[in-house]
Amino acid sequence: MPKYLCLQRSLPGAAPDSARPSPAQLQAMYAKFNEWREQFQKNLTDMGGRLGAGRLVTSSPVPDGPLVDVKELVGGYMIVSATDIEEAIRVAQACPGLVRPGSGVEVIEIFAPA
Amino acid sequence: MIERLGAHFFRHEYGRLVAMLACRVGVRHVELIEDAVQSALMAAVETWPKATLPENPSAWLFSVAKNHLVGELRRRARHERLIALHDLGDANATVPGPRAGLDGDVRDELLRMLFACCDDAIPPQSQLVLALKTLCGFDVREIAERLFTTEANVYKRLARARTRLCELPFDADELSSEQLAGRLPAVQSILYLLFTEGYLSSHAHEAIRRELCDEAKRLAEILAGHPLGATPETFALLALMHLHAARIAARLDGAGGLLLLQEQDRSQWDQREIQLGMSWLARSAQGEVFSRYHAEAGIAAEHCLAPSFEQTRWERVVECYALLERLAPSALHTLNRAVAIAEWRGPAEGLALLEGLEPPSWLAGSFMWAAVLADLHRRCGNVEIALRYRESALHSAPSTAVRGALQRRLDQRAD
Repeated sequence: MPKYLCLQRSLPGAAPDSARPSPAQLQAMYAKFNEWREQFQKNLTDMGGRLGAGRLVTSSPVPDGPLVDVKELVGGYMIVSATDIEEAIRVAQACPGLVRPGSGVEVIEIFAPA
Repeated sequence: MIERLGAHFFRHEYGRLVAMLACRVGVRHVELIEDAVQSALMAAVETWPKATLPENPSAWLFSVAKNHLVGELRRRARHERLIALHDLGDANATVPGPRAGLDGDVRDELLRMLFACCDDAIPPQSQLVLALKTLCGFDVREIAERLFTTEANVYKRLARARTRLCELPFDADELSSEQLAGRLPAVQSILYLLFTEGYLSSHAHEAIRRELCDEAKRLAEILAGHPLGATPETFALLALMHLHAARIAARLDGAGGLLLLQEQDRSQWDQREIQLGMSWLARSAQGEVFSRYHAEAGIAAEHCLAPSFEQTRWERVVECYALLERLAPSALHTLNRAVAIAEWRGPAEGLALLEGLEPPSWLAGSFMWAAVLADLHRRCGNVEIALRYRESALHSAPSTAVRGALQRRLDQRAD
């Protein structure tokens, strides 16, 4: 089954959601997340994680500093197995907290040698 | 997996962790402690679903929160050089994990935090907000929603409480037994306030009203289980909570309207709550003290035990209100006594009690005062005065549910 890299990114122009969820909301998120995981278990190849700051390595020296525009800051990644990109999108879209005001998911097919 | 954790796991863990960490590094760091606990809960939501749930989720949370807190304290100490080095070393060395099965320890820590909230330099409304935030795990928005106030107001009250806690000297965390005993009435009163905020709330969702009542019962039970708080007053407080809680569901009709006491289906009253309330009431009947909680629990017990509205022992209710007036003078208690007297001896005697009484402005302007006078005058046949009070009662009713109940009652014909 083809694999897809899902990258969470902030949407340009949208202020990142800075409100911290309350414990009760966290519990609801936890329940939803578990439900989602159980529903799509066969698709979830790698649950991934959050991504921190990165450095670009090139053949010529580059200055330090943020390399990705803040607007496009990537939040986290995961790898989904699906028969096609539509199914991968359905899995990502159903993931609680991934698609919300201010952030979206980029779903990219990973080509593997046949 | 989630079932294993219980319905309020995250909220109650929040309170437990704040209390445990406050005992270890000092309640003056309450803001940093809350940040650390929040981070631990967020880390749990992020990582637990990806693997299996840790064998001891509470211990996992504690260790994550503790590491976060110690790291933050270190960072601050380096920057500000304000915190003595030995203090930090201690914080690190003496922050042990929760020992398995030592539930009693956690209860002690929750109590210590509760007593810390009840500092008499903090106004009661701020104490309440601080307890809701730190011990019950509600956030500012949720507290504002439950107390029918604005978020800005909750922030303000919280800031006042935190400022006071931050001013506390380093050694203030160990309250002496005299100090603890001295704060017991404040602790009881905050639990009472927490309960009545839930019980009297006109919030549309029963679940939300119940939540505050349940929190009050939970903390009061912990208080009653500790030698420090196991006094007849605490038992009476628990009795009144259970005896009121028994009737929460029956106060509402199917459509969210309020039902008057005589309209309620008594078979819907929660018999288990009544039993619990009665056993706490029995335990409270010891010693020399008869507190306002005893009087209020006594009134609630009379209602719970009466087979019908008509068969209520109104003379006992009247007697308890009279005691309550003496213990906690308030025109509201007089008003309630007048209502009970009217049921016992007739509306004219009820009215007689209120004659010449100058209610304080908060009561005079409230729907309760106008509604009782409208009802008593109506039953005495004083049509015009009754109509005047009726208008004023309906006008100042705080919600449509209350207004509906008033209309049903006040539009009945004279006795």
